[in-house]
Amino acid sequence: MFLLEELSQKYKTISIVGMAKNAGKTTALNYLIEEAMDEGIVLGITSTGRDGESTDLVTGTDKPRVFLDTDTIVSVPTQLYELADAGLEILKMTEYNSSIGQIMLCRVASSGYVQIAGPVINASHQKMCEEMLELGAELVLIDGAIDRKSIAAPGTSDAIILSTGAVLSRSMKKVIEETAHTVGLYRLPVLEDGEDKDIILEHLGEERPMIVGNGDVRILDLTTGLGAGKFLDGQINESTEYIYVPGAFTQSVVADINPRKLKNVTFVLKDPTKIFIDSVSWGQLRKKGLTVKVLENINVAAITVNPSAPGGYAFEHEELLKGMQEAITDIPVIDVML
Amino acid sequence: MTACNTAIAQVDLTKVKPYGDTLNDGMVELAFTLPVPYGEEGSEAAKILAKKMGLDEPNVVYSKNMTDGYTFFVVYGKCQHTVDYTTIKVTKVEVDIMDRLECAQYIKDNIKREVVIVGASTGTDAHTVGIDAIMNMKGFHGHFGLERYEGINAINMGSQVPNEVLIQKAKEVNADAILVSQTVTQKDVHIANLTNMVELLEAEGLRDKVILVCGGPRISHELAQELGYDAGFGSHTYAEHVASFVLTEIVNRKMV
Repeated sequence: MFLLEELSQKYKTISIVGMAKNAGKTTALNYLIEEAMDEGIVLGITSTGRDGESTDLVTGTDKPRVFLDTDTIVSVPTQLYELADAGLEILKMTEYNSSIGQIMLCRVASSGYVQIAGPVINASHQKMCEEMLELGAELVLIDGAIDRKSIAAPGTSDAIILSTGAVLSRSMKKVIEETAHTVGLYRLPVLEDGEDKDIILEHLGEERPMIVGNGDVRILDLTTGLGAGKFLDGQINESTEYIYVPGAFTQSVVADINPRKLKNVTFVLKDPTKIFIDSVSWGQLRKKGLTVKVLENINVAAITVNPSAPGGYAFEHEELLKGMQEAITDIPVIDVML
Repeated sequence: MTACNTAIAQVDLTKVKPYGDTLNDGMVELAFTLPVPYGEEGSEAAKILAKKMGLDEPNVVYSKNMTDGYTFFVVYGKCQHTVDYTTIKVTKVEVDIMDRLECAQYIKDNIKREVVIVGASTGTDAHTVGIDAIMNMKGFHGHFGLERYEGINAINMGSQVPNEVLIQKAKEVNADAILVSQTVTQKDVHIANLTNMVELLEAEGLRDKVILVCGGPRISHELAQELGYDAGFGSHTYAEHVASFVLTEIVNRKMV
């Protein structure tokens, strides 16, 4: 299977997003790097945190190192440059900073282990990825940090690879459920084209919640939807069809809305990373009639599973792989430990 | 000037050992209490323990009966281990520290408006000591807090503040910086809480518009950056460190 070739034809940047800390993001990254070596694809590699160091900052456990092939374009901060075991040719200094120095873009001149880090803010990542593509990378991989899912946002990368694994729970059923829930959210239906969508897009730049219905729009005088459930409830009337929420979508946005009103409206979000509701509460809200659509959803290019957890327990490789494939049938699932 | 020129007078930073009477003698002093009665056997127990800790020639120089069945010991011994000081890298917040009055002047000269800083001890953490040390007028350890700084509007929301509420407040007052304190938390819950804060800010489109700082005894600058914060402040940092960073960053990021 030429996974990377297929991916690089469809996408230019891919984020590796972890369901949890230690779900196997770096292991997944290494798997993809190996694939790229076999298929002869020039990768760009960057990270939202730090990668390739030998021990974990939080848990003190061993972390996988990252081995890069020649010609790979990689982002390395000045302080980690000396620690690289690979030969690195500095291509340019970027304007971005990290805790361990300014970020440099380098080309790997002779293959070896490299410690990688990138900018802290997502918006900077986007810009840096473009620079990496200009420098000759055919596909840029962004390795996520901890359990930060916001890098899955459509603006940051073209598609994501979701890393999940035993670390989520000791129950394999729960691991599969939680992963399927996240994938479900990422693939929420996109709001259909039409008058209402045009209205929302027209007022998008104002970054305020709005109530749309019958071709009419009311921009609400709210700086955030957070904690605004009661206020939103008061704003919903018979003609309301859509409520657009620009920021985070949490319990406090919807909790105080009367279920009868909730049934008749559709919430519209920018993208699925705005949702901060766990799978159980999500299920309850759905039962009450919650409908959510997004302006853009997320391409999940692949799912990687890691059957062993650093806590010292593991699942059967085959069983987890099969379970995940049955739960999510149309996305390739890869066991990175096999 | 040749008096000290003995064979080992040269400090070798790649093999650093504790200094007692002479360089590299490895001398270490330990103080601890064992739940054993005062006496010869107790002292022997203390010696064996010190030996297990990797100390050569352990010597109990003092012992005292604390109460029945408990003895306090002071033990000297020679450490067998060395540290390579030259390879140590600690990432710190790199900023010139200004005191309270210099900060006020800096605001007048470079920012020319009031700086708004919102802070709280978030999530399950009920301890206000960290955020109070930085924000409260009386400060901590002789270092006045941000409330006393001219030109800074410091809003301390207290403890157990949900991330969402802190963000609401930050939006309401148009904050320049958000301070998140995590003092005592169990099972690394502070990590999940801190990343949740970053994710919410990203979702709210606020992340690149505020300076996000966290602090607490288990937080280092390196960890903070890994979690997606602009800076992290650990023990022995005070209001002036936080203020200097925030003010410099406001100017660097052209948020004036």
